[in-house]
Amino acid sequence: MEFTLLWAALTAVALGWLALRLTPGRSAGDADRLMGAAAAGLLAGRLGAMILAGVNPITHPLDIIIVRAGVDTRVAAAAALVTLLLSTRDAIIIDRLAPVALAALAGWHGGCVWRGTCLGTASNLPWAMAQPGSAVTRHPVEIYAAIGLAIGAWVVSRLSASPWLKTGAALAIAGGVRLLTQPMRPSLSGGPVGWYLAALVIGLTLAGWSQLHGHPTPDSRLDEDGAPARLDDPAGDGQPQP
Amino acid sequence: MKRWGLVLLLLAGCSAAPAGTPGEQIPPFDLAGFQDSLTSYGRPTVVNVWASWCIPCRSETPLLVEAHHVFSDRIDFIGIDVQDDQKSAAAFLAEFDVPYPNFFDPEATIRTALGGRGVPITYFIAADGTIVDTHIGVIDEQQLALQLDELLVRG
Repeated sequence: MEFTLLWAALTAVALGWLALRLTPGRSAGDADRLMGAAAAGLLAGRLGAMILAGVNPITHPLDIIIVRAGVDTRVAAAAALVTLLLSTRDAIIIDRLAPVALAALAGWHGGCVWRGTCLGTASNLPWAMAQPGSAVTRHPVEIYAAIGLAIGAWVVSRLSASPWLKTGAALAIAGGVRLLTQPMRPSLSGGPVGWYLAALVIGLTLAGWSQLHGHPTPDSRLDEDGAPARLDDPAGDGQPQP
Repeated sequence: MKRWGLVLLLLAGCSAAPAGTPGEQIPPFDLAGFQDSLTSYGRPTVVNVWASWCIPCRSETPLLVEAHHVFSDRIDFIGIDVQDDQKSAAAFLAEFDVPYPNFFDPEATIRTALGGRGVPITYFIAADGTIVDTHIGVIDEQQLALQLDELLVRG
């Protein structure tokens, strides 16, 4: 079990790394920021899961390191976002990392293949799959989510450079994909639909605000290769401004 | 395997009262006793193997309790406490207010017979005694709901 969880995590890291490699203008600190945010999210999510399960982290400190015992994804996502915002307030950097985070999330969902946890509610669609030994075919719901997030990562990476637009769009896509796929996930409680809805609304609001107040365009500070433009030559034509 | 399917069917039919009060003795596992107390069977059953010292068990027990509240009219839930002591186990059950029957199996007889190792392990058993799925390690809500749905579909 632990090994399948590890493989899913490695798939997320691999896709995130690949997306970062394909990102123009990346800096040496980007991977550190992402990993720092992911680590903070993991810790906070584990603490959140313990507290929500009625387990006191102070009286059961060793429980914290047993990640396989559960991580609350809502707390983890919020903590990762806050950590990222604390690590930099620069919209350029955060926008640059937004599609990378979506790609990593797609990898995590796609990691269901290693864990054997891709299936959802029953379905008769041609591509529905069955558990070993079962005649009941089901939606491969986590594959749907992985594909949706991967497409979302590509779309976000192609958006204009209006500040916070990519971040808002990525947040909306992450919430929207989870929201759309949730009805196909078996659940006892219905799932954290409110959180997904909140992510969708906040993301759309941020993206809308960005479009209304979309100046200056931060990526104009980057040249075609993604390197920072010279302050005395913002046009990059070799002719310093007077 | 069929023999153990029968054992689990017998377990499913037992009518022991839930244990949960600190200091209360958890009924020991005794196949003959189960056979005697057998009152009904033929329903799907979830058998959760746990221990009070097991860290992941603390995370999944509230989920199993919630699942029991939702599905207790259609699926039986049973806990098997292994390699434990009575006092700690009773305190664990009281802490999580576990409503379904639990049995004390200090030698982990059932788990060993089923080929399982470690805790937690959750067995999903169809009404005909077939083991539909064996989940090794902590189970999350989605997987638990999926296997419960699988049990209900199979009947």
